[in-house]
Amino acid sequence: MWMSSENFFIYEVFSQKSVNAPFVQQFSLLAPNKEVALSMARENFLRREPCFNLWVVKRDDIFGLPPEERPFLERLDNKSYRETKGYGDLQSRWRHHREQFEEKQKHAGNGS
Amino acid sequence: MQMRLEHADLTENEKLEAFLARIDRGEKIEADDWMPDDYRNQLIKLISMHGISEIMGALPEKEWVPKAPTLRRKLAIMAKVQDEMGHGQLLLRVAEDLLEPLGKTREDIMNDLFAKRLKFHNVFHMEAPTWADAGVIGWLVDGAAIITQSMSLDTSYAPYARALHRICAEEKFHAQHGESIVLELAEGTDEQRQMLQDAIHRWWPALLMFFGPPENGNITSNQEANMRYKIRTQTNEELRQVFLKKYLPRIFHLGFTVPDDTIYFDEAEDKWVYQQPDWEEFKQIVKGNGPRSAHRLNLRVMSYEETKWVRDAIMSYGRQVG
Repeated sequence: MWMSSENFFIYEVFSQKSVNAPFVQQFSLLAPNKEVALSMARENFLRREPCFNLWVVKRDDIFGLPPEERPFLERLDNKSYRETKGYGDLQSRWRHHREQFEEKQKHAGNGS
Repeated sequence: MQMRLEHADLTENEKLEAFLARIDRGEKIEADDWMPDDYRNQLIKLISMHGISEIMGALPEKEWVPKAPTLRRKLAIMAKVQDEMGHGQLLLRVAEDLLEPLGKTREDIMNDLFAKRLKFHNVFHMEAPTWADAGVIGWLVDGAAIITQSMSLDTSYAPYARALHRICAEEKFHAQHGESIVLELAEGTDEQRQMLQDAIHRWWPALLMFFGPPENGNITSNQEANMRYKIRTQTNEELRQVFLKKYLPRIFHLGFTVPDDTIYFDEAEDKWVYQQPDWEEFKQIVKGNGPRSAHRLNLRVMSYEETKWVRDAIMSYGRQVG
């Protein structure tokens, strides 16, 4: 009498707020095919939010890490050479050189 | 990290200890993480009841869509009904992922509802005979729901927390939608004010029941388990007091009363002292023997039967395109 769930698939919904925004996973839904999934995605998750573009992806087609492997995603703490904050001394060094230069200019001026 | 890698080799007891330690550290649990059966079952019970309540909750309000007094009100209450169905969809997905290892699906949830094995919130078994009831449902029932759901935003089960973040944002619109209807009537004619007063009296016992029976010092094993697992953080009575503190003054500010002559605020205890509703009646209502229980369940069944042709059409199309 009721719908048979075995004919339904889980779809993950991704949406993009604006042309410059990344696609963000919204939630999942149950649908018999991708067209219905796409229209349900709008009904279920985008009744108010601004939306620029929309994807649905069958969950079975997503390959991810099992729980026990996720802790390895945690970044090690010694990668400052990859980040701007690893180069925080640059500004004060530039200032030093400017000041040295200005000092030299001043003395040169006095000498003439 | 070493311990997690060898998770499969741990005994059940060691797994449980590691799980509880995660809960204690404030970590969130995902659908594919190991969890004790008890945690899974508590979540399934809570979330399927919540999801079905959203769907059943749309029904008393749906009755008011054709009868809403203006076009704007009609659009607003339609939007609300649509939101509630959307919330049901979100929550059923969360419940389904929890049911998956048990070999169960949405069909089982629906069948449990129709067989009255799955309960839904007491408030949705009640009548909504006037437009003021639609207002009171939005103002006070959604107000009560926001209080319970806000408590659960920090729940240890991550997919439920993500669903609740979406839901709570929309519930705030619902509460304001209800406040807007209520204020319109409260500022209206004597007849309108009387209609609103009657609705407040009619809904009062159901609103007190909404949070469940008080603990009276005896927290049930269910509540205790939910708090140990950090699925919830406050007791029924604590939540009810938050509700009373927020809404009783507003009811009085509008010049209305509640059907409780002895109600008073105990400054020393910092709580409202109120007459208990009939908790026997509450049990009967949530068992499916409330004033509108049978009618609303029938609506649900009817809606399934009347839309069968849509599902059939979708299914045959689905099979064609694979």
